[in-house]
Amino acid sequence: MSDALVWLVIVGSGIVTFLMRASFILFADPRKFPHGFRVALAFVPPAVLAAIVLPGLVSPGGTVDLSLDNPRWIAGLVAIGIAFRIRNPLAAILAGMATLWALQALAG
Amino acid sequence: MTPLPLHPDARREFLAGCRDIAPVLVGTVPFGFVAGVAAVGAGMTPLQGIALSLFVFSGIAQLVVAQLVAVHSPVLVTIAAAFVVGLRFLMYSAALSPHLAHLPMRWRVPLTYLMTDQVFGMGVKRYGEAGGHGHRHWHLLGIGITLWAFWQASVVAGAMLGAQVPAAWSLDFVVTLSFLTILVPAVRTRADIAAAVVAGAAALLAAGLPYRLSLVVASLSGIVAGVVVEWRHRR
Repeated sequence: MSDALVWLVIVGSGIVTFLMRASFILFADPRKFPHGFRVALAFVPPAVLAAIVLPGLVSPGGTVDLSLDNPRWIAGLVAIGIAFRIRNPLAAILAGMATLWALQALAG
Repeated sequence: MTPLPLHPDARREFLAGCRDIAPVLVGTVPFGFVAGVAAVGAGMTPLQGIALSLFVFSGIAQLVVAQLVAVHSPVLVTIAAAFVVGLRFLMYSAALSPHLAHLPMRWRVPLTYLMTDQVFGMGVKRYGEAGGHGHRHWHLLGIGITLWAFWQASVVAGAMLGAQVPAAWSLDFVVTLSFLTILVPAVRTRADIAAAVVAGAAALLAAGLPYRLSLVVASLSGIVAGVVVEWRHRR
C-alpha cells in the first residue's frame, strides 16, 4: 500500500470512528428513533465483543482448536470465571495471562 | 465559562475519575503496546502508527486497520471494517447522550473523542450513582484523559521498540482478554447471552470470508439473535 493510501486509511478510519461516537451525543436524540432500533442497538456490544473474543480464544491460529495444544481457550475460561465472580478487569487479565504463560511453560 | 479556580466538586469528580480508571490501565498499557507493534508490523511507519492512534483512539479499530493494511486491502474495505467494529460506539453514544445534553459543544466534542468502551462503562456507572449530577462530566473527563494519555504513550512505545518483544510473551493475548473483561459484564439477560453465543459461533463459521467480513456477518447475526429472543420473551 502506498504512503498516500495509508494516510487516507488513517484519516478515513478516524473520521468514521469519530462520527459514530458523535452520532447521538452531537447530532441526534436517541428518543426520536424507533423502539426496534434501540432494542437492536442494545445488543451491539455483546455481539461485536463476542465476535472478537471467541475466535481469539478458540481459533488463534485460524482454525478451531479445543485441544491442549491451544492454551488460550483454557486461559480464557479462567479469565471469564474471574471476571464473572469478582468483576475486576485487572484480576481477570492478570489471571488469563498467568494461566497462558503457565500452560506454555508446561508444554515446553 | 467554567469559573476558575475549579469548583471543589469538579476537582473531586475529576480526580475520582483518574483513580477509578487505574485498575484498567494494567490492561491498557500492554494492549496499546500491541497496537503500536501491530501498526509497524503491518508496514506503517512509526509516525503513521502513532497518527492512526491519535485519529482513531480505539484499540480494536487500530488492530483491524493494521491487519487489513498488512494484507493490502482496498482503502474503502479497510475504512468499512473500522466502521463495523465502531458500531458499538453508536450504542454508547445513545446511552450517554441524555447525560451530556446540557453541556456546551466545547465539552461535548472532547468527551465524544475520548469515549471508549472503558470510559463508557465507568462513566455510565458513575451517572447511575446517587448524589448531585452537576459535575459528573468532570468524572468522565478524568477517566478519558487518563486513559488517553496512558494509551497513546503505550502506542508510541510499541511503535518505536515493538520488534524487540519476544513472541513467547504472547502479549497479543492481552487484546482478547481486554475485550473479554468488557464482554462479561455486558452480558446480563438471556437475550444478551443469545447475541453473544450466536455472534461468537458465526465468527468461527465465517472465519474464511475475506477482509475480516466474518466480523460484520457475526455481529449482525448476534444482534438479530438478541432481538428475536427479546421479542419472544416479551410475549
